[in-house]
Amino acid sequence: MPLVGNIRDFGLSDFLYLVDRGYKTGCLHLSRADEMASLYFEKGKLITATRKDDNVPVTDLLVRKGKLTPVQAAQAAQEHQNQNGVHLSQVLINLNLIGRDELQRILQQHIEESVYALFSWNEGEFRFEQGQRPDPTAPIMPTPLAVEHLIMEGVRRIDEWGRIKDRIPSTDMVVKFIEQPVERTKGINLAADEWRVFARINGKDTLAEIARKTGMSEFDVCRIVYGFLTAGLVDVIRKPAPVPMLATGRPLAEAPRVKKSLVTRIINRIRGM
Amino acid sequence: MQTVKMVISGAVNAGKTEFIRTISEIEVVSTERPATDDTRLIKKETTVAMDFGRIAIGDDLVLHLFGTPGQKRFDFMWEILSEGMLGLVILVDSTRPETFRETNRIIDFFMSYRETPYVVAANKQDRPNAWSPEELRLALRLPSHIKVLPCMATDRESVKNVLLELLDVIMQRSED
Repeated sequence: MPLVGNIRDFGLSDFLYLVDRGYKTGCLHLSRADEMASLYFEKGKLITATRKDDNVPVTDLLVRKGKLTPVQAAQAAQEHQNQNGVHLSQVLINLNLIGRDELQRILQQHIEESVYALFSWNEGEFRFEQGQRPDPTAPIMPTPLAVEHLIMEGVRRIDEWGRIKDRIPSTDMVVKFIEQPVERTKGINLAADEWRVFARINGKDTLAEIARKTGMSEFDVCRIVYGFLTAGLVDVIRKPAPVPMLATGRPLAEAPRVKKSLVTRIINRIRGM
Repeated sequence: MQTVKMVISGAVNAGKTEFIRTISEIEVVSTERPATDDTRLIKKETTVAMDFGRIAIGDDLVLHLFGTPGQKRFDFMWEILSEGMLGLVILVDSTRPETFRETNRIIDFFMSYRETPYVVAANKQDRPNAWSPEELRLALRLPSHIKVLPCMATDRESVKNVLLELLDVIMQRSED
């Protein structure tokens, strides 16, 4: 069954995170008013994106950009009809009508811009159709795109507190790396300011303290950390309060410990119900 | 007579009352009233204070089940209810992604108060548009050691399974 909802409640960056971590293959359809967009993923990576007003075969796109002549486009289309199961993008490469790297650069730029524009949507219905694949003539990139990169760039374009505060309610919160952040950063290019913040993350300093130490505004630090958070690089937690100790020496904040024999009795009782 | 307590929490309409009603030995002490605010859009009646259910474990031991009110204005009740609890079930309506942020807020609240054993129950798995437990884990960004369990709060075996999984987590932290 498709996953459905509204990006007002479950944002695009949240969905991209889910697709990435869940290694999802399928299509995310987004719609609001008369606008529609479709993002296709293969094992968690973006392979193409189309918008209702710009849903054309890859050959048309390349002719429009002056990278292919109409004759070459027709030749590729003809060849594509003879090759079952091969994307038109691959046919173009096989026929040496365009180099793989150049095709990747052109399509990636085109697709990225389509996706970044979607980050400005404050609301819109989404529907994720598992397993749905794009039309073979669509502008499918030779190399699928890691979504962390898209999330970071998309978040750079957010200029409102509202969305950020959903995830970072206070600048008194502490930023810490999640496990193996280095592995996750491979697909991400950080800007200079982002590196400044990244380098200050130590699991102890609050967002306010990082802002003070870097000389940046709290908004900018929160926006950058929001990007890290959305890409799954860091976590933000409340600053732990000093924990009062009980007379037994056990911290008050710890849940009461119970005897195994008591838990076993409850388990047996519930099993028998 | 020793009593132990488990808390069932979650956003409005996650299925807390139903969950307790399905497993409790007594008629659930519920305080449902006609919904008067935004909740009215979701359900006609809602829990305004809490639900209370009970399972006798033996002559000398009773398990109490408390359901928290879902509405934000009763947040103060959460702290009271969490005092001395053995464990926590976080119920999620798997069909309503608009409640996922609120679910995270509830988890954050309970975890900031104390390190409590908990499991997440992905309720309403029988509905056609339900997000799977694994999708919920990603949506809620829960670490891999937290159990996310399929659940149908109206089904006794399903509720039993959630409680047994929670007890398994509690067992791992218990003393000899």
